[in-house]
Amino acid sequence: MVPPRRWIRWAAAALVAAGLLASGLILHDAPGRGRSASFSLLCGAAFGIVLQRSRFCFASAFRDLFLLSDRRAALGVLVALAVGSVGYQVVFGAWVPDPSAGHMPPTAHIAPASWHLLLGGAAFGLGMVLSGGCISGNLYRLGEGSLTAPAALAGTVAGFWAGTLVWNPLYVRVVSTAPVVWLPSHLGYAGSLAAQLALLALLGALLLRYMPGLSPRPARPVTLDVACRKVFVDGWPAWAGGIAIGVLGTFAFLRTRPLGVTSEIGRASRALGSAMGFLPERLEGLDLMAGCRPLDTEHLLSENGIFVLGLVLGSALAALAAGEFRLRLGRPRGHVLSLAGGVLLGFGAMISLGCTVGTMLSGIMAFSLSGWVFLAGLLSGAWGGAGLLRRLS
Amino acid sequence: MSAPGSVLGTAILLLAALPAAAQEVLVTTEWVSNNLNNPKVRVLEVSVDPGVYEKGHVEGAVGVKWHSELADPVSRDIVSAASFEKLLSRAGISGDTTVVLYGDNNNWFAAWGYWIFEIYGHKAVRIMDGGRKKWEIEKRPWDTTVPSHPATTYRAAPPNLALRARLPDVLSVVEKRSPGALVDVRSPDEFAGKVFAPPGIQELAIRAGHVPGARSVPWSKTVNEDGTFKSREDLRKLYAEVGVDGKTPVITYCRIGERSSHSWFVLKELLGYDVRNYDGSWTEYGNAVGVPIENPAGTVWTGK
Repeated sequence: MVPPRRWIRWAAAALVAAGLLASGLILHDAPGRGRSASFSLLCGAAFGIVLQRSRFCFASAFRDLFLLSDRRAALGVLVALAVGSVGYQVVFGAWVPDPSAGHMPPTAHIAPASWHLLLGGAAFGLGMVLSGGCISGNLYRLGEGSLTAPAALAGTVAGFWAGTLVWNPLYVRVVSTAPVVWLPSHLGYAGSLAAQLALLALLGALLLRYMPGLSPRPARPVTLDVACRKVFVDGWPAWAGGIAIGVLGTFAFLRTRPLGVTSEIGRASRALGSAMGFLPERLEGLDLMAGCRPLDTEHLLSENGIFVLGLVLGSALAALAAGEFRLRLGRPRGHVLSLAGGVLLGFGAMISLGCTVGTMLSGIMAFSLSGWVFLAGLLSGAWGGAGLLRRLS
Repeated sequence: MSAPGSVLGTAILLLAALPAAAQEVLVTTEWVSNNLNNPKVRVLEVSVDPGVYEKGHVEGAVGVKWHSELADPVSRDIVSAASFEKLLSRAGISGDTTVVLYGDNNNWFAAWGYWIFEIYGHKAVRIMDGGRKKWEIEKRPWDTTVPSHPATTYRAAPPNLALRARLPDVLSVVEKRSPGALVDVRSPDEFAGKVFAPPGIQELAIRAGHVPGARSVPWSKTVNEDGTFKSREDLRKLYAEVGVDGKTPVITYCRIGERSSHSWFVLKELLGYDVRNYDGSWTEYGNAVGVPIENPAGTVWTGK
């Protein structure tokens, strides 16, 4: 007989799946919405499932590397970047026949690159190590029932306010004159792809050379039962998650907007802050920026909001199916660290117009220098955060 | 000349003498579908939302950027003849090509494109009725590859500036120095001065309201639910209700001149009236020093 708890779990998973599919259908025909809204929801859900299954997490990519010398998550990120780079090139080639003609591919996250991204990246890197996850990491953990994730997300809202307060002077002094560098317009498509893949391969080679690997688990003969268990219950290897995210990143860019999770959070934070009256009414230059800038919407949720909702529900679905959904209260120390880390996450994401997903992942996949600069900032922040954690424990 | 020949000749003369309203300025989505491979036809998409063209356009359509390719953002002017020639040469358009324009946002920017093509004297320009909206409703396929057509050497005609109104022309009508009717195509709230700009757009004029004597006919009243233009009969009635009947010259305006080129198209090309588009529109008029406005709501810009 099936134990009742497992029964409830499967029923809940089926309910979430049915809810996602039904909402996708409804959005498809809803006035003012349409297929891109429907796509955003399902793409978000797929993203959430991949994040949850492969525990694809930028925070662990860096933290595990510095604290545990575990290279797996970092390799997963490199795989995602490599796959996404190829995918983006395929789309670019169709949209912009000649990258040197001076036209940028529309909607791609190709943003001005300057030291504000180092600062934003460092704040974000420190914040994600302290709070135990970046923004997407906290979102998928929310779907798994984490009760510390809301503390991190509340901190993120406060961090967005702080970032918004410094935005105008930062824009005028730094961002407005920073160069927008799209590698293909300098190196061509073939050259930029070769250069970027070579760099990613070099980073991968360094990880493989200097970080110890874990001995592989003994292989079992793959039967239907074992295959199902591997997909739905056991976690996916990080590299498999990386491939899936590279593919999803390309799909999202082709059909809606590049992957990103902070546009709607930024919009909501700004609306809340403006309603309370302490945020500047006008943010300079924001309309012109590529990235996860807050987009106005006449609906309750923008398409990015739908994507984020899909992410949380997709993660919940995957966690329920795998038996990993659990309400985790967390310890008080965890809440404090999450909240403080969240503030840094929000601040970093606001001044960088995106997070590890929107600015780093979607930026590097789009061959924008801004993605690499943000990554450099992230590395320094995460390294500092790892040192801080080591001292705290 | 034999009798049948002279009848034919008279018929041709009659056809040529018909007003512009009788010319085919609109083509259906069906017609475009059937002429995708017609070498004498070139389809251009003029959309304003970024990525819309790239994510899917009518097969073989060339994408035109309104902000930089049909307007001069530095001098705030229509595109120069030289740039227009370069654009059309690159799109493989010759003097005898039939150009079909369509776009997003109910063909607003396609209508701007039509106006520019008329100013530079292109012979055969059409708008695809319903634009992207109707194409999508009819579930017709989109293409994502950017076509490359063999380049041509296009020569534009001297600009026909009788299609364009400037600030002094508008003032001349306001001060009743010349006859004319002004049509404001913005939303009723903008017309009434309750808001400076439509929702989601920052104000670009420091005064709210409208040009004195202007009649409010929001552009949205000229289209059906599927984005197509209403019938000529309905359109004639719509404008007659506010006293615009084609007996006096008309000037259309909006905020930046793109929605008003849509209404300019309706009045000039579908109804055959004498119409000029005021592309300076409210962002020029509303900011101009020392010119009168009407502001029923009395909203005053606070400078915040």
